[in-house]
Amino acid sequence: MRPVSIGQVYLGLFAGMMLHLLPWAGFGLLIRPDFVLLVLLYWLMRAPHLCNIGTAWLMGMLVDIAGGDLFGQHALAFVVAAFIAVTYLRRSTLFTRWQQAAYVLLLLLVSQVVLLVLKLFSGSDLPDWSYFVPSISGILLWQLVIFSKVKVTGEHQGLGNE
Amino acid sequence: MVQLSPQQQPNFFLRGPSPLARLTFFAATSLVLMAVDARLHYLLEVRQGFVAILHPLEIIATSPLRLYRQIDEHFSSQGALLRETRQLREQNMRLATELQQLPTLQVENEHLRQLLEARQLLDQPARAAEIVHAGRDPFVQKIIVNLGSQQGVTAGQAVVDGLGVIGQVTRAYPFSSEVTLITDRELAVPVQVERNGLRAIAFGHGRDNRLDVPYLPVNVDIKEGDRLVTSGIDGTYPTGLAVATVSRIERNVDSPFAQIICTPVAGTDRHRQVLILTTSAPDVDYAPPAENPEQKKHQGSRHAAR
Repeated sequence: MRPVSIGQVYLGLFAGMMLHLLPWAGFGLLIRPDFVLLVLLYWLMRAPHLCNIGTAWLMGMLVDIAGGDLFGQHALAFVVAAFIAVTYLRRSTLFTRWQQAAYVLLLLLVSQVVLLVLKLFSGSDLPDWSYFVPSISGILLWQLVIFSKVKVTGEHQGLGNE
Repeated sequence: MVQLSPQQQPNFFLRGPSPLARLTFFAATSLVLMAVDARLHYLLEVRQGFVAILHPLEIIATSPLRLYRQIDEHFSSQGALLRETRQLREQNMRLATELQQLPTLQVENEHLRQLLEARQLLDQPARAAEIVHAGRDPFVQKIIVNLGSQQGVTAGQAVVDGLGVIGQVTRAYPFSSEVTLITDRELAVPVQVERNGLRAIAFGHGRDNRLDVPYLPVNVDIKEGDRLVTSGIDGTYPTGLAVATVSRIERNVDSPFAQIICTPVAGTDRHRQVLILTTSAPDVDYAPPAENPEQKKHQGSRHAAR
């Protein structure tokens, strides 16, 4: 597997950001996966020396600014998810594809739960179950990308796997 | 086999501070920023700056949709255009007849107003803006429009469409501004019932497309289907714009207040254009009636001249 350059990482994050900035509305907004977090998790698992918790925080801040939200809420959600991803980094290299999918889904849900808690503190109502649909659509998108032969944890799988 | 405890991890795996240290640092930064943003409002200028920087990105991101719309408009069939023309012509005819009655009504209205010594209503200069996107957070009811502080939009201005009130500008960025819809939980609109002039305040409900009118007693004279219009008391919205129609009234025996649920008249899901009323209504509305008629007349003429 070819080594990853820092340019690739930021290009990917930029692409995720652009997808996030598309004018989503209605049903699209309901099922819109968290593109930025998906790209972040991908790079966190594939190139942890280039993309770390700080990158997650920076991207979260950008999402907050773009959305006009309270400063720092997406940043905190991304940082928590990134922390878990980094902590279990070496374990996650041994996962099979389906285990990995479950693991990523868990991370997406964690970030959404963090956001939900922050929203509840700032006085929102409890949303219905459809709040978690973006995690589901996110993991479907992830599987789609993975099944098109993109190896996520390639650098850690040993050279024989190439 | 030597068991390695986490402290004894080989050094070459570690890069920089530990994940836990990073988590603590960034989480603390986020929490502080959130607290500062929510409570102290120091970050408004910072936010405006960043939004201005992100503005080109937004333009790029929304360009596919704009292109699609342009192509769609270009290829809309002749039949549709003819149908629309016919409809518009009919509508025009109907409006023209109504317009003929307008001067008479205006004269009569002015006369009555003078009789009442009420203040002259101002015509509000308005500015057409286009909706860029309808908010990205499903929790809040906000839209972003394409006019900003560079075009003279300031926070607090009312936003309407052809049918009625949409909301209020809450943040003006350099090239765009954020409009909070009347269905947002944070926004309240002073209204009055068109039928009998009863005044009330309508609050947004948040998630569904509906408004609540709380704090009215059970025996209040409101019926389903009543139209609520702006009362103009707050000085933000001009008087008489349609806000909502009453869709349901629940009168519970155990509550002293009636639960009144209304549906907004205007909707951002129907049109792309909105009007921003660029001057807010006069600051001092509804002064106590007639202490000094002469001064009042003077004020009225000054406002009319403005």
